[in-house]
Amino acid sequence: MTEAILRTENLTKKFGGLTAVDNMTLSLASGRLHAIIGPNGAGKTTFFNLVSGILPVTGGKVFFRGRDITGLKPHVISRLGIKRTLQIKSIFPQMTVAENLWIARQASQGFLHPFRAATRDAATRERVEWTLEQIGMTALAHRAAGTLSYGDVALLEIGMALISDPKLLLLDEPTCGMSPAETERAATKISELAHSLDIVIIEHDMEVVFGIANDIIVMAQGAILARGSPEEISNDDQVREAYLGRPEDEDYVEEAAAHA
Amino acid sequence: MTRPAIEKCLLIGLGTFLIATPWIVPVMANKFWVSVIAEILIWSIFAASVNLLFGYVGLLSFGQALFFGFGMYGVGIGIDQLHLSFWSAFAFGVGAATVMALITGILAVRLTWHYFAIITIVFSLIFYFLAVRMKSLTGGDDGINFSLPPVFSFGTTRYSLTDQTFQYFFILTIFALCFYLMHLVTRSSLGRAFLAIRENDLRAALIGLNVYALRLTAFVMAGFLAGISGALFAFFGRYASASYMFYHVSGDGVVWAIVGGAGTLFGPVVGTTLFIFIREVVSTHWEHHSLIVGVMAILVVMLAPSGLVGLWKKGLSRIGRRDASIELNPKAKLRSQP
Repeated sequence: MTEAILRTENLTKKFGGLTAVDNMTLSLASGRLHAIIGPNGAGKTTFFNLVSGILPVTGGKVFFRGRDITGLKPHVISRLGIKRTLQIKSIFPQMTVAENLWIARQASQGFLHPFRAATRDAATRERVEWTLEQIGMTALAHRAAGTLSYGDVALLEIGMALISDPKLLLLDEPTCGMSPAETERAATKISELAHSLDIVIIEHDMEVVFGIANDIIVMAQGAILARGSPEEISNDDQVREAYLGRPEDEDYVEEAAAHA
Repeated sequence: MTRPAIEKCLLIGLGTFLIATPWIVPVMANKFWVSVIAEILIWSIFAASVNLLFGYVGLLSFGQALFFGFGMYGVGIGIDQLHLSFWSAFAFGVGAATVMALITGILAVRLTWHYFAIITIVFSLIFYFLAVRMKSLTGGDDGINFSLPPVFSFGTTRYSLTDQTFQYFFILTIFALCFYLMHLVTRSSLGRAFLAIRENDLRAALIGLNVYALRLTAFVMAGFLAGISGALFAFFGRYASASYMFYHVSGDGVVWAIVGGAGTLFGPVVGTTLFIFIREVVSTHWEHHSLIVGVMAILVVMLAPSGLVGLWKKGLSRIGRRDASIELNPKAKLRSQP
């Protein structure tokens, strides 16, 4: 059996009295596209925040390829090869698209030359051009990233994660706010990428999830409610209840508390 | 003419003017203005130190006078009490400021925004009061007066800053070196990493940048620049005084950098030139000249948040855009923080 790409043991996160991630033990196999779904406030984004080191864990451990990464700083985890995108798209708005990719590449290489002009790095330039092609943004290379459409920002964010040769990509609602055409383009891109690297995706668009995921994890109230292939999940009664059977007001209360 | 071409011409013009200053300014006005220009060069380095932190890394420091004061006292104490040579005293002053920046930076850069601004004020106040109290070492409010050792001596020929023209060129050389260094750093990978942190520090950490270490690096570099300007100012005035460690000196640097244009290489020079010029011209006629400074600072911050150089760049790129007849679609700024 191959080593799990990502594994958690009794992972727990509490915000005051609220348990956002509750004693979660999970093992994600390499070579598959995993999707995490669940109602608002289920702890999906918190789970990503714990894995990427943005939030300290309350209890439990996180292992990346067998290595304990619990409590490491975000930039250290990033350099180990776990890259992520954020739910609210996050780029460097005043830099151009090419510069955004450029700095993402150079940041992953460790040493930042203090005196040599950044543009004189030919290897990085080639890599930036290649990535621009990959995400289909060559024509927008010199636009300030802050002037892009929302869908393009999301693609740029994925490009910034890709350019540093990640081993594990965590995508937090990548198609949120995209037009149907953009969503289709992004979904195709993601399932294409899944051939060469491990991806975990949080997504609300069920068409996307059931279209591209190999393995679905359903979270509710900080814990895993169900897990299985898309077919198994779509026939699961508990999942239906989690999505349809709960009054919406309760979710909002949790959501607000989880983000406080 | 394209923007780089216009800017290149301006730069060559400015360089020629600065080199010719000791000869043409006494003819055009009088000798007094040569030393005003020398003072502007020194304070521009100080404003550049504020600019490196605020304009490139996004940290607003109100405590740069602390490092200016350390540069100044390093030179003063080095010459007056330790009897160091010119260059050793210079290195001692700049070194003291840089080490101080490292020590205070380790604590200060853990914080950002107003917390960072406040802690920098606190540090500079602590050392200001210490300097005023430790009269035997610092001379307190009176400061230290000292006489200048020679800069170079070859046999019997001595070059000293007492020669006005030599002093001017010495300051100009250091000024040029500092700004060349700034130019290199801001265009380098390190400079881009600084910008990334200014724009979005969470994203910067997620792409693998060590935000804390990079902020500390910038803080130490800024301390180094402030130390150089302080050391130069000590040589220029032949004295060191605690009053230059007071936070209103830091505030001047912030105003100069922001009005001139934070995040641009020459913004601090423009801001410093403008305000020292106003001070020299107006203060002889009217004692409340700082009112003009205040009004101008408010106007620039409200009407041209990227400063005078930012305004200039915008104007030039508008001309360029009209030439190329490209229509850009101004989109609302994206939220960069979750």
